[in-house]
Amino acid sequence: MKQQFEIPVGAQHISLLEPLHFKLTTENETIVDADANLYYVHRGIENACVTKFKYRQVPLVVGRVCGLCSVSHGTAAAQVIEKLTKVEIPLRAKYLRMLVIELDRIHSHLLCLAHVAENSGFEALFMQTMRDREYSMELLESVCGNRVQYDYSIVGGVNRDLRPDVAADIKTKLALLKPRVQALHEVFETNWSLSLKNKGVGAISKELAMKLNAVGPLARAAGVPIDVRNETEDLLPWKELGFEMILDTAGDVYARNMVRIKELYVAFRIIDNILNGLPEGDIANISKALPEGEAIVRVEAPRGELMHYARGNKTNVLERLKIKAPTFSNVGAMVEIFKGNQYASAPAIIASYDPCLSCTAR
Amino acid sequence: MNKIETTLEKVSSDIGSFYKYDQHHFIVMNANDLGDKIEVQWFFHDYADAKNITMFWLQCADTDRIPSINGSVASAWVAESEIADLLGLDIENAIAGFVLEHDSPIAPLRKKKK
Repeated sequence: MKQQFEIPVGAQHISLLEPLHFKLTTENETIVDADANLYYVHRGIENACVTKFKYRQVPLVVGRVCGLCSVSHGTAAAQVIEKLTKVEIPLRAKYLRMLVIELDRIHSHLLCLAHVAENSGFEALFMQTMRDREYSMELLESVCGNRVQYDYSIVGGVNRDLRPDVAADIKTKLALLKPRVQALHEVFETNWSLSLKNKGVGAISKELAMKLNAVGPLARAAGVPIDVRNETEDLLPWKELGFEMILDTAGDVYARNMVRIKELYVAFRIIDNILNGLPEGDIANISKALPEGEAIVRVEAPRGELMHYARGNKTNVLERLKIKAPTFSNVGAMVEIFKGNQYASAPAIIASYDPCLSCTAR
Repeated sequence: MNKIETTLEKVSSDIGSFYKYDQHHFIVMNANDLGDKIEVQWFFHDYADAKNITMFWLQCADTDRIPSINGSVASAWVAESEIADLLGLDIENAIAGFVLEHDSPIAPLRKKKK
């Protein structure tokens, strides 16, 4: 056996945005084993939701689980409580929830792509991608009032209607963003030096991704057909508004980039269809019913399948809330993918996971 | 949701005979503190018909040892280690301290604090 070295990456590291620790075992430059510790920020949010807050406050509290997919958490919590209270929300509220979820997906995917570029040594592309992402951040602020913590979904619907001037602003800014995304697509797809860092790097097979129950773009880039939007028509009508599942086969960093970029086009289409067909009516159906029984709800957050489980006992406070974040499902795959890759590729591989530790540890 | 009741003795074989990695996606493991006992749940969905969710569940005492399903579901150790930490349960092969640091509250999701 060759001499092995254990190299710590994180919890504070130049290529990491969040506090996670990987222990990479290398032989020369090749990673032969990996281990992960992802729990530096456990905040007890599930516990707080069943001890300190009333059930109507829970969608706002769980929005604090994560800054990047705040609307996915808030919507999942609102939906699971609506199941427990047997509340049907207005169609307009469903459309508005989907609008914000897709705007959120645009900003999150662009953030991930920017960091893959940065960690691959392409600083200029990082700057360009972050500049273009700003359109989606401005639109989220226009629709929700906040750039990060949206507090948009409430039990029974949403808490803000879409004003006509904001709808027009969305159309204008998306018309500016679309050609920019096409330009980014061309660079991510064809740039020779970027492909050296991304093609064939950090690959996972479809079989292994299925065995390790991976979710989100990480799984879809390997060909695993898993996207919650394909299966939750009863809660939000994704297919009606142009949803299409994006799959690739290579399973490497490059394929994950391509899946995220193509999902931006799907998001643009869904948003266009929402704006063109937004039904008139109320934005919320406020009921005084108390949650009873148990239910689960899944939402396709930018990083994959997010699950909220809740149990109520006909009081104002939930008896149990369980959150399963996408990164939590990908922990097993994240550790396996490193093996056999060069140590120098580790930063790009980590960025391509798009890990969210805030969600995972919550 | 298709709910299948199981027992501590049968859960590994029940899930082992049900789960096919290329047909089922393991969503997560959960546990609920019912006061005098613990309810444990394992959630799966079908890739072919993703709306079809199957939940295996059992009830046991909080001192019982809960078998691991990691032999059948390769990524289950993550969910098992988290539930063991947060509810203070004895789950086979769970990594103690996976979620909580040594100075964290013990079993914070239990109603009666340990």
